[in-house]
Amino acid sequence: MEEDSNAVSSFFQMRHVTREFGGLKAVSDFSITLERGELTGLIGPNGAGKTTVFNMITGMLRPTAGDITWNGENITRLASHLITARGIARTFQNIKLFADMSVLENVMVSCHYSIESSFLTAMLGLPKHGREEKRIREHSMKYLEQAGLAPLAFEKAQNLPYGLQRKLEIARALATQPGMLLLDEPAAGMNPMEKMELAAFIRRIREKSEVTIFLIEHDMKFVMNICERIKVINYGQSIAEGTPDEIRSDPEVISAYLGGASHAQG
Amino acid sequence: MSKKLKFRLNVVSLVLLFGVLCLFSRYGSGYQVRILNNIAIFITLAVSYNFINGVCGLLHLGPNGFIAIGAYTSALLSMTPAEKEINFILEHAIWPIDVIQVPFVVSLVAAGVVAAFFAFLISFPVLRVRGDYLAIVTLGFGEVIRVLCNASQSVTNGPLGLKGLYPHTNLWWSWGVATLTVVVIQRLINSNYGLAMKAIREDETAARAMGVDPFRCLMVAFLISAFFSGIAGGLLAHLITTISPGLFTFFLTFNLLIMIVVGGLGSTTGAVIGAVLFAWGGEALRAVEQPMEIGPFTIPGIPGMRMVIFSLILMLVILFARKGIMGRSELSWNSLESKLAGWRRTRTP
Amino acid sequence: MSLTLFLQQLINGVSLGSLYALIAIGYTMVYGILRLINFAHGDLLMVAAYAAIYGVLLFSLPWFVSFPLAVIATGAIGILLDRAAYRPLRQAPRVSLLISAIGASFLMENLALVLIGGIPKPFPRPDFFGYVIKAGDLHILVLTIYSPVITLLLVLGLLYIVFKTRAGKAMRAASRDFEATRLMGINLDRIIALTFLLGSSLAAASGIMWAMKYPQINPFMGVIPGVKAFIAAVIGGIGNIVGAVFGGFLLGLCEILIVALLPNLAEYRDAFAFLLLIGVLLFRPTGIMGEPVIQ
Repeated sequence: MEEDSNAVSSFFQMRHVTREFGGLKAVSDFSITLERGELTGLIGPNGAGKTTVFNMITGMLRPTAGDITWNGENITRLASHLITARGIARTFQNIKLFADMSVLENVMVSCHYSIESSFLTAMLGLPKHGREEKRIREHSMKYLEQAGLAPLAFEKAQNLPYGLQRKLEIARALATQPGMLLLDEPAAGMNPMEKMELAAFIRRIREKSEVTIFLIEHDMKFVMNICERIKVINYGQSIAEGTPDEIRSDPEVISAYLGGASHAQG
Repeated sequence: MSKKLKFRLNVVSLVLLFGVLCLFSRYGSGYQVRILNNIAIFITLAVSYNFINGVCGLLHLGPNGFIAIGAYTSALLSMTPAEKEINFILEHAIWPIDVIQVPFVVSLVAAGVVAAFFAFLISFPVLRVRGDYLAIVTLGFGEVIRVLCNASQSVTNGPLGLKGLYPHTNLWWSWGVATLTVVVIQRLINSNYGLAMKAIREDETAARAMGVDPFRCLMVAFLISAFFSGIAGGLLAHLITTISPGLFTFFLTFNLLIMIVVGGLGSTTGAVIGAVLFAWGGEALRAVEQPMEIGPFTIPGIPGMRMVIFSLILMLVILFARKGIMGRSELSWNSLESKLAGWRRTRTP
Repeated sequence: MSLTLFLQQLINGVSLGSLYALIAIGYTMVYGILRLINFAHGDLLMVAAYAAIYGVLLFSLPWFVSFPLAVIATGAIGILLDRAAYRPLRQAPRVSLLISAIGASFLMENLALVLIGGIPKPFPRPDFFGYVIKAGDLHILVLTIYSPVITLLLVLGLLYIVFKTRAGKAMRAASRDFEATRLMGINLDRIIALTFLLGSSLAAASGIMWAMKYPQINPFMGVIPGVKAFIAAVIGGIGNIVGAVFGGFLLGLCEILIVALLPNLAEYRDAFAFLLLIGVLLFRPTGIMGEPVIQ
C-alpha cells in the first residue's frame, strides 16, 4: 500500500500554513499532522503565535498561505460555525462564556447547529419541537454531569468561580460532539489542585471518546504530564516536535523557550 | 409548576382578557376604546422591537420603515377602487394597486409579508455589520423608505397620504394580534433559537465557535420582527384611518426605543409594560399640553412639553436605571409562584 | 446646461460642502475618542443660530460680537452635553450611550420648541454677507464664497491644534488607545471636554452660516444637516478629521450637482445621502480615507 501524504487516515493536517499581518509573519510555514485520538501539546514563549494557529484552524483568521485539511476536506477558507459543524471545537485563552446565561444554557447553545426543527415549529409550539428541546436538555445535562457541574446548572455562568468557568468552557465545547478539541490554555490561573482535577477531567474525556486533543499551555509540568506529543513554536515557526522526553532535552527548545536556566512554571 | 397548571392559568388569563375586552367593546367610551387599541398596537410593536434590539442585541434604528410598509400595504389592499380614485388626485394609482381589493385580514397578512420581504432584501447589507454601523445603516433604510413613500406619487399618493380608510381595527383585532405576537415571539425566545440569539448578543465569536450561524439566526429574527411590525402598521392605519409619510419618521422609532428601554431591554414583559406605560402616559401627559384650571387659576398649556418629559424620562432611565423596570428577566407563572412562596415564608412565624 | 449654470452650481456645491465639513468634524472627533455617535451634535446648529439671533435682537449686539459669542456659548453647551449625558456612561455598554445621545437630541429640540416656539424665525443676515456679486450671468451671494474660505481657515486652525500642540497630541493618543492614554496620567475628562469644545464651536460656526444661507430657523433645523454631515464623516472615514472634511465637500457637491443634472430626482435628495452611505458601508466600511479592512 502506498504511503500518500494526502492519505485520509491523516485525520487533521496543516501544511505550510503562514499568517501575515502587514509584513509581520505571526505564523510561518507551520505544518502538523494529528491522528485520531492523540493528545498533542503546542508550547512556546508568549507571542510565539500559538493562539494565531488556533484561530486559523477554527476559521477566525484566514491563513495567508498554506492549507488545513480535516477528514479529507480542505477547511482553510471555511467559516467558523461550519468548521464547528464539521467537528472541530475550541475553548478560548480569555474565558468567553455567555455570561448572562445559565450554565445549562451555555451548553445548550452547542446543540444549535444540529437542530432539526425549524424556527416555525418553535414558534407554533409543535410537539416535534418540544421533543427536540427535551433531547437537547438531556444531552446538555449529560455533559454537565461529566464535568461535575450538574448541581450548578441554573446558576448564571458569570457567577461561577474561575476554575469552574474554565471547566464549563470545555463542557460547552464537548457538547458540540467534536472529533477534535482545541484547548487554549485551559489551566491558566488555576491552583495546583484545580490543575490536577483538570488533568483527570481530560483523561476521562479521552476514555469516553476518541476525540483528538490539541492543547496550548504554559505550565510545563502539566503539559509534560498529559501530552503524548509536543510541538514547539517560536516566533511563528515550528522549532521542535516529539515526545515530552525528547522535547525536554532538545537544546533548541531549551534555549528558545526555557532561556538557559529553568524558568518552567510549576 | 406543572404543565397542566400553567396551561389552566393561561386559559383563565385569556378568558379574563376576553371578558375585559367584551366589557369595553360594549360599554366603553370611544376614548377608552381608542386607548386600549393604542395599547395593543404598541405592545405588538414594542415586543417585536425588543426581540431584535434587546434579545438579539442589534441596535436597529429603522423599525419606522417596516411599520410604514405594513401600513401602506394594508391600506392600499383594503381600500376599494373607488376610495383610491378619490385619494389619488394628483396622479392615478398604478396597476394593480388601482383595482385590487382584498378583505381586511388578507391585507394584514400581506402587510406582514411585504414588510418581511423588505427586511429580507436589506438583511444582506445590514447584517454584514454590527454595532454603530448597523444602527446607522438601519436608520438610513428607515429614512429611505419614508422618502420613497413620499416620492412615489402613483404608488402611495406621496405627501398627501391616504385618507378615509375604513376603521376595521377593533379591540378584537388589535388585542388578538398583540396576544399572538407575545406568545409566538416568547416561544421563539424560549427555544433553542432564542438561546442562539442571546449567545450572539453575549459573545458573537464564542457563538460562532459553538456552531451558531449568526447571519441565519439574525436574519430569522429580523424578518420575524419586521413581519409583526408590518401587521401592527396595518392595524394602526385602520385605526387612525389616515396615513401619510410624516407619520413614520425617526420619531416613531424614538418612541419605541423609550418603550423598550424603560421596560427593560431584553425582556418581553418589560416591552409590554413599557408599551402600556407609554400609551397611558402619553394620554395622561396630554393634559400638560392643554390649559388646566386649578381653582381660580388657569395654567396655560405648553405644546411640546410632552416630548420634553418623555425625553427626560428616557435620559433619566438610561443614566440612572439603565436596566429599566424588568431588566432582562421575565414575569412568568413560575416566577410568580416563587415570589408568592417567598412572601408566605416571611409571614409564617 | 450652460457653463454659467454649471459653474454656479459647482460653487454652491462647494459652499454647501464646506458647511457639512465643519459639522462632520465634530462627529468624527467625538467618535474617534469615545466611539460614540453624538446624535445631539446636529442640534448645536440650532443652538448657535438662536444664540446669535438673541444676541442681536435682545441685547442689540452688533453681529460681529453676537456671532462669536454664540459660537463660544455653543461650545460651552457642547461641553455641558458631554458632562450631563455621556460622562456618567463612560463604563456603560455602547447601546446606552447611543440611546442617551438620541434622548439628548430630542430633549434639546423639544426644549427649544417649548421655550421658543415652533414658528420659524427670520435670521438677520448682515449686509457683509448679503452682498450679491454679479459676474456676467453669475449671481453669487458673497456668503457662498466666504463659507469655504472661513471653513478652510477654521480647519487649518483645528489641524494646528491637533497636530502641533500638546493637548492635540493627547487627543490623538486618546483616539488611538483610550485606556493607555489614561494610564499615562493624562486627564481624559479634560481632553474629552476640549474635543467637544472644538467640535461644537465648528458646528456653531457652520450653524450661523447655515442660518444666513437659509434664513428661516426653527428648533428642528439641525436634524437633516446633522444627519448628512454624519454621513459625510462616515464616508470620509470616521475618526479621521481630514476624511470628514473631504466627505463633507464630496457630499455637498454630489447633492447639488445631482439635483442640478437630474431635476426630476430632486425629491430623492435626502434619500440619496443615505444610499451613498449604505453603498460606502457595504464596500468600504472604514470609509474612503479609513484603513482598508484587514482580513
